[in-house]
Amino acid sequence: MTSAHKPPAGAAASGFPLYHRFRSELGEHVLIVPQTRIYDLPAETAAVFDTDAGAASAVADVLSLSGPQEVALDSFSVPKPQQISLNVTSNCNLGCTYCYAGRGSFEGKQVGAMTWDTARQSIDRLFASCERSRPVTIGFIGGEPFMNRRLIHDCVRYARRRGNQLAIDARFALTTNGTMLRADDIELLQGNPFAVTVSVDGGALTHDRHRPLAGGRGGSFSQLARAVGPLIKQPGLAHVCARSTVTSIDLDLVSRFEGIAALGFIDVGFSPVRAGCGALGDADWGRYLDALITVAVSEIARARDGGPLRLSNLAIALKQLHRGFSSPYPCGAGGGYFSIGTDGNWYACHRAIGDERFRLGNPVSLEEAIRKQFLAERHVHAQAECRACWARYLCSGGCHHEAPHRTVQSCNYIRGWLEFCLRTYCELMDARPDLFEPISIGGKTP
Amino acid sequence: MISEPRIKLLARNVAAFRRGGSVDRQVRLVPGNPVSTRLESGVGNCFPGLECDLRNLERRFFPLLEVDIGDNEIRVVSVDLAGLAATAAAGGLPPAAVAAYQRIATDTEQGRNWSISRLSGDFGPLGALTLEVRDFTSVSSGPGRRPADAWTAIRLLREGTNVTIRLTRPSQPPVTLVGARTRYLDDNGALATIFLPGELNQSLCSPWTHDFRDCACFYWASNHPDIALPPLPTPAPNQPEWNAPVEWERADRSSLGRPPAAVADGPGATGPELDHLEINSKWQLLNFVVEGRERLTPYAPASPEAHPLASAAELERHLRYAAGVELAVVQQYLAAAYSIRSLRQSDNEAFTKDISAAKAELMRIAIEEMRHLRSVNDVLASLAEPRAFLPALNVASLLPATSPGGAPLPVRARPATHDAILEFVAIEQPSASVDGLYARILATLVANDSNQQAHTIRSVMAEGEEHWRTFRFIFTWLNRHPEADYLRSTNLQVPPPGNPQHAELQARYKAVLEQLYAGYSAGIPSGAGEINAARMAMLGVSGLQGSAEAVAAAGFLVAFDAIADPRFQALDPP
Repeated sequence: MTSAHKPPAGAAASGFPLYHRFRSELGEHVLIVPQTRIYDLPAETAAVFDTDAGAASAVADVLSLSGPQEVALDSFSVPKPQQISLNVTSNCNLGCTYCYAGRGSFEGKQVGAMTWDTARQSIDRLFASCERSRPVTIGFIGGEPFMNRRLIHDCVRYARRRGNQLAIDARFALTTNGTMLRADDIELLQGNPFAVTVSVDGGALTHDRHRPLAGGRGGSFSQLARAVGPLIKQPGLAHVCARSTVTSIDLDLVSRFEGIAALGFIDVGFSPVRAGCGALGDADWGRYLDALITVAVSEIARARDGGPLRLSNLAIALKQLHRGFSSPYPCGAGGGYFSIGTDGNWYACHRAIGDERFRLGNPVSLEEAIRKQFLAERHVHAQAECRACWARYLCSGGCHHEAPHRTVQSCNYIRGWLEFCLRTYCELMDARPDLFEPISIGGKTP
Repeated sequence: MISEPRIKLLARNVAAFRRGGSVDRQVRLVPGNPVSTRLESGVGNCFPGLECDLRNLERRFFPLLEVDIGDNEIRVVSVDLAGLAATAAAGGLPPAAVAAYQRIATDTEQGRNWSISRLSGDFGPLGALTLEVRDFTSVSSGPGRRPADAWTAIRLLREGTNVTIRLTRPSQPPVTLVGARTRYLDDNGALATIFLPGELNQSLCSPWTHDFRDCACFYWASNHPDIALPPLPTPAPNQPEWNAPVEWERADRSSLGRPPAAVADGPGATGPELDHLEINSKWQLLNFVVEGRERLTPYAPASPEAHPLASAAELERHLRYAAGVELAVVQQYLAAAYSIRSLRQSDNEAFTKDISAAKAELMRIAIEEMRHLRSVNDVLASLAEPRAFLPALNVASLLPATSPGGAPLPVRARPATHDAILEFVAIEQPSASVDGLYARILATLVANDSNQQAHTIRSVMAEGEEHWRTFRFIFTWLNRHPEADYLRSTNLQVPPPGNPQHAELQARYKAVLEQLYAGYSAGIPSGAGEINAARMAMLGVSGLQGSAEAVAAAGFLVAFDAIADPRFQALDPP
């Protein structure tokens, strides 16, 4: 595997690797790194790629050029805000061991609940500054958002009405521990285009160990199962997914996955803790990769038999590989996405509430100069150790907030996972092409 | 190194297909390839066809024999002696039959022809029959229906059923053989091994030989034009005769100092083409044709990109000029249309068709240009501040150049000479002249998200392209005839000062402009009355139409004088 710290095969004269060779059960392939183009290689061409770096780089160089429908990866732009998350509360009814937000208080930097005025002004600013032809997303986060239930309901009602008036397609997102859902909440989620992420770590044992009720009142699994069940059964307009936060003390992803799937979730993702309590260390990343692949292999076998891909880490990666996802940024933080604290300040991301390094706007306006600098500094080309990595436009350096904790081992995990996904993509494209959107370019399909 | 053939990549994901080597790239239209070059456009008429002649299957319908089939004749052309020996050795044929086959083989090799004169067997839907080959009548209908011809009869025989054939040779006793109708395909659906490579194609037409010379009128699906614009020398000349179609297969392959003779088709009028022998030996001299013009050098696509105009004020100036151009070409096209004489009883049918079509199309195009004038005014009105719109009815002083860097064309009344029509072709040519003017207007409207206005301009441009095609037809029709035959006079002039018919025409024209100005100013719906009145004032004896007829009947060109009124005076290009 290519190391992030030594020049890899496929590097162009600039030192940026332009291609990455890989194999699947179908044969030989190459990933053209910029623009994420994937090709099958006849044996003779594969031999050229493996033995004649000059010829291979010349081919890759031509294929790397961005086309008319593609964004040049060295371009730098400051997009309009398109998604926001509202930190509607700084309080939570759980006391999770690894919570990055300190149960919503962000170590005391965020206090109280968001007011209606702050929420409305934030929505108005989003509507006033967005690209109207594209959907906007308003997310709710905390703390546990349903600690401020009334505000969520008010915001959704308001955004729908204003969105209709302005011909803006307003959508919603919400991250919840799922324990406080009431019938009227479920009705709200079912009746609106919501992306609902439920934090659930595994079966009862695993979940309760990591996600106890606040104040030492025991685990939260049974409350979660009871409250979320009706939404899973009848999601309506909502898309409901489970996210399991993985700590170093429990890397048994198979039993986690089974426990979550048993609740009825058909979209399950894992998210490893990279910093703070329970963070995975250098010794853990290899084991984590193996465990994730084990779950993935089982899901792929199901998919080959006609089932859906329930592991969202895999499903999303395959979808992005299919489309040729390629970006110099890992997420929209500070670009199209902002998280608004209870005090009305605009931050690049919900992970960084109260962190001045990530504050890009005040309750009145965005600070464009700071924002521009924020984006320039975080472009993947500005990350010295990323430039030599073939996965740079797929990983894009990883979460800005977690980037300082990046190590060779954690990067090796990313590359190992992407290598697995590349292989799987080719194989499933062959076995289950219906899992992927049809390739249609200019109205023609192959 | 990139171009070395050892590099082959097969696109797998969307991004790879998007980059190239994609289905999209394979099927996209490129200059020079008509849609008929697509695989699905292949001609599939198989009797005979261009890909395969299925009639060749029946040549081996009977075991061990190969036959030629005519309507009333089935002649043996060879016997499969190797197959015969193998079949005989396997005990598959009685000795008498083996002897008969051998006798026929020997005679055939020596040029003594055996024919099948009678067929007995199961003819499928027609049932069990015995048919005399000489009795086929080309008719197949009614009770007791028989196949129309020998080939159809054979085709109807059920595969695998026994067929009895009677073979005859003059002055020899007939021979009777029995065999199962051959299977043409094997168990896998592949062509049976009895057929030799090329056997199904052997009777096909061959486009690169005589057929290529003889089959004109775009018969060949993906092939050659009959006519094309001549190849241009460098630098490209601006004379209209270089825009006249010429014979693509012309025998005269001489130099480019002058354009080849323009097409003048019609009985006996076709210029000399390469003859049959020449087309076989000189086909490689025929030029590639891209975008309707022969090319001697690698084709370089002209940039299709039109640059948006810099400001709203510049857009308005260009739109006003475009309206003026529409008025100017209306005047020119009307002059040309009215220069064509009335038809007479004594005119022959071909002349009547050509001349009446040319005049009718000229009038239609002139009327459509009037609608374009209205469309441009609508766009201007929609872009103007409320109540600030002033109609654009100033006639252009000059028309846009017909080639890049060329001089603008003067606006002048001309009879419908061959040269004048060629100039009209050039004026309406896509991506040039008037179309080029609109292309920049369109690019500006698109860039400004003025979608409705952009749609209007797109329609105007699309009709302009149709006018260009029609003018090429008009040229073909008129070019078949000497100008003196169809013009009112070869010396048509603008009427002299004081000519009463001309003066009346000018008065009526100005009145129409006044009504249009009032109608456009008021807009729709309040201006509808004036606009409709202007329309009515163009028609009939008492309208513009009547006046124009009167001027033409007096032996003059229909022309329109410059008007001093600032609302209608001449407008220079922006």
